[in-house]
Amino acid sequence: MNPVSAVLVLLGAVVALLASIGLLTFRTPYARFHAAGKASPIAFLFVALGAALEVGWVGAAELAIVATALLLTLPASTHLLFRATHRTTSSSHMSRDDLEVAEAELAERERADGGGTEG
Amino acid sequence: MIADVAIGIFLLAGLLAGIRLVRGPDLVDRVISLDAALVALMGAIGIRVADTGDTLYIGILVVIAIVAFTATVVLSRFIETTGRR
Repeated sequence: MNPVSAVLVLLGAVVALLASIGLLTFRTPYARFHAAGKASPIAFLFVALGAALEVGWVGAAELAIVATALLLTLPASTHLLFRATHRTTSSSHMSRDDLEVAEAELAERERADGGGTEG
Repeated sequence: MIADVAIGIFLLAGLLAGIRLVRGPDLVDRVISLDAALVALMGAIGIRVADTGDTLYIGILVVIAIVAFTATVVLSRFIETTGRR
C-alpha cells in the first residue's frame, strides 16, 4: 500500500471507531443517530478513496459507484429512522416541534384540496 | 501491517455497534447499530481491496450497501406503521 492510501484507510478506520463510540455513549436516540448516520458514510468514503488509489481506473470507478450509493442511501435511511423515532416516542422534552407543525399544515392543505394521496 | 491495524479498528467499531445492538433500549437503536455494523464491515472489505488490489470484492460492497438500505427502510416503515418499540 502506498503511504497516501495507508493514511486515508487509517483515517477512515478512526472515523468509524469514533462513530461507534458516539453510538454507544450518547444519551438520546437522536444524538446516537447523528453519530452513526453522519460519520459512517464519511468513514467509508475515506476507505474507498484510499482503495481507489490502489486498484486502477476500473476498480476506482466501481468504488465510486459504491461510495455514491452509500452517500445517497444512508442519509435517507437515517432520516426515516429519525421520523420513526419521532412518531413512536413522546417528544415532550423538545421546546419546539417543527415536524408536527409541518404535518398539521400539510393535512390542512390536503383537506382544502379535497383529499390527496396518502404519503 | 497497516491494513491489519485498520481492519482491527473497524472490527472494534463493529463490536461497539454490537454492544449497542444488544443493549439498545428501543428498536430504532438496534436498527441504526445494525447499519453501523454493516458500514464497518464494508470498510473492512474496502481495506482488503486496498491491501490486495483485488477488485473482485467491490461487488460484495455494492450488495451490502443496497441490502443495508433496504433493511433500514423496511424496518423503519414497520416501526412507524405498527408503533412498536
